[in-house]
Amino acid sequence: MQTHSTPPKAVVPHTYISLRRWELLGTALFNLLIFTLLIAYLFPILYIISTAFMESAQLRDRNAPPYPARQVRFEYEGKERMIYNVPYAEGQRQLALVAPGRTSSEFVDPQNPEAGLIQWEGNWRILVGVYEFHWTWENFNLLFRSLRLPQMLKNTLLLAFITEIGVLLSSIVVAYGFARFPLPGGNFLFYLMIATILIPENVTLIPTYYIFVRVLHWDGSWLPLVVPFFFGNAVYIFLLRQNFRSIPKEMDEAAMLDGAGPIRTLVSVILPQSWPVVITVSLLHFFYMWNETRQAALYLSTRRDLIPISFGIQNFQSLSPVINQLEASALLIMIVPVLVLLLSQRHFMRNLVITGAER
Amino acid sequence: MNIERIQRDSPSTAKRRFRLGYDKTTGLLLISPWLVGFFLFKLLPILASFGLSFTNFYLLEPGQTRFVGLENYARLLEDEAVGFLIVATISTAISTIPLQLVASTLLAALLSSPRLKARTALRTLFFLPSIIPGVAILFMWFGFTDPNIGWLNRFILRPLGLTGFNDLYSDAAYALLIAINSLWAIGPGMLIMLAAMQSVSSEIQEAARVDGAGPLLRFFRITLPLITPAIFFALVINLIAVFGGVILLDRGSTFRGGASPFDSYITYWIFERWQLGYAASLAWLFFALVMVVIVILFTTSRRWVYYPDRGD
Repeated sequence: MQTHSTPPKAVVPHTYISLRRWELLGTALFNLLIFTLLIAYLFPILYIISTAFMESAQLRDRNAPPYPARQVRFEYEGKERMIYNVPYAEGQRQLALVAPGRTSSEFVDPQNPEAGLIQWEGNWRILVGVYEFHWTWENFNLLFRSLRLPQMLKNTLLLAFITEIGVLLSSIVVAYGFARFPLPGGNFLFYLMIATILIPENVTLIPTYYIFVRVLHWDGSWLPLVVPFFFGNAVYIFLLRQNFRSIPKEMDEAAMLDGAGPIRTLVSVILPQSWPVVITVSLLHFFYMWNETRQAALYLSTRRDLIPISFGIQNFQSLSPVINQLEASALLIMIVPVLVLLLSQRHFMRNLVITGAER
Repeated sequence: MNIERIQRDSPSTAKRRFRLGYDKTTGLLLISPWLVGFFLFKLLPILASFGLSFTNFYLLEPGQTRFVGLENYARLLEDEAVGFLIVATISTAISTIPLQLVASTLLAALLSSPRLKARTALRTLFFLPSIIPGVAILFMWFGFTDPNIGWLNRFILRPLGLTGFNDLYSDAAYALLIAINSLWAIGPGMLIMLAAMQSVSSEIQEAARVDGAGPLLRFFRITLPLITPAIFFALVINLIAVFGGVILLDRGSTFRGGASPFDSYITYWIFERWQLGYAASLAWLFFALVMVVIVILFTTSRRWVYYPDRGD
């Protein structure tokens, strides 16, 4: 402390502070950069949300702002008049258009309608309107009126629930087998399972479709969508197996020594420690089923009452694409998985990062 | 008695007893759901598909089916669409996969920085587009790229002085769209990279920092070589997506009818022409193509992927 007055020591705290400042500035800039990147990355989502609440009139108007809006109106002599920005030599005025004309038009000042009509020379079509924020539920109402959304939602949830049970039960048991038990051929079967992820669906599609439809007559029912999931899913099995392997083997050995059978060990030792990954996998499967349209298109096209929501909306919109209705549909389809992800983010992100870790 | 009991519970006997619990039969029984599913929904259909590719199976006249030898495969060689589609699939892979890999590595590196505030929330938000259903994404692009009122033209291309996106269905525009769209599916790859980066030992990083290596040098010389297994994994995942496989979501079904152009062409022969024999030979050609790519990838991986000595 006594040496504080000597020049070299006095410099040291000074540089230290400025370094800290630089670091803070760098951190702030870095965060700003990531934030900007995020906005750019999610820009199309802003587009969906904004357009979903627009009226159709706004879509036809090239001067309209990007947010849901409509042109400000003013009632004059019993009629609604649109308000425009009208350029004059002395500056811009916001006037309501009364009598449009190609070379000159007549306006009225909404602030002072008693003053009467105001003349403006020029083509009124080049004028840019004055807009106010205005949004509508109409696009969503139309979807609710035209489609049996509650029923489709019920179908999706039911399908997700049934397949969830099937795929979780089978995948957990299989993953346990792969994680702990010796198998003939060593790791061959495990690698074979991983390899099945790489098989393009079209190679198996023709015989499967033929058997399901022509032999078993399963079309028009949920069976083709549900039954395959009761045999496990390779991606889920992989994730679960990685997690099961990270549990110390001594724990289930102890249970086995006490005379517990494999299923008992799985239920009482492995599963209680694996809820996070089981929940992660079930969330993954929920996202998958919510997105599913391909199988529905193959097998459910004859049964309107059984189709899931994504397929129902996709089918409806392929008839007449009107952009604001399309975006309302998009918002309606994505809102549920997005909310589920946001609500489960802490859990979901952490476990997906961890389970993906060791391959 | 006592001695007998001690002997019975001695470690060697115990070991033998617990080994009995871990036998191959139990293992096979446990994985049997997958094994049965593999035979029913993968192996048998693949073989049936192979058999079908040597017949003239026509869905409207199943009774007329007969063995035609290599006729379908000869037809493949004459089908102009096939060569075009192979090229299209490969060019899709080339235009999307490197972009996805660079983007997900970069994003993972940025999002693993300790300087970042609200890291979990940011990771979730960058992951978010990967769980948006394919149908919603299709609707989004339809409006977003509309030549007249879409935001792409109005707020990005025109302000930048570019001529604009007048024809969504031109090949160049479509290729561009596919590339941009692929950036919205990097979530799983990004998470794998994030996990790998977290497991890079901080001691090595610290040692390099003390030796005067800057952040860029450390990233390229330490982090990147150590996470090559994750990069390889992400590469395989992205490749599967291009070929129409599914990792997280099946996005392909909504984008122009199939995950890849080849995919849609096979679907066309199945559901519009009902010529299942020819469709099967197309599917098998595609399957062979995928397998060749995968085998090449795995054999070359030894040269650039870092495999640490693993204890187990």
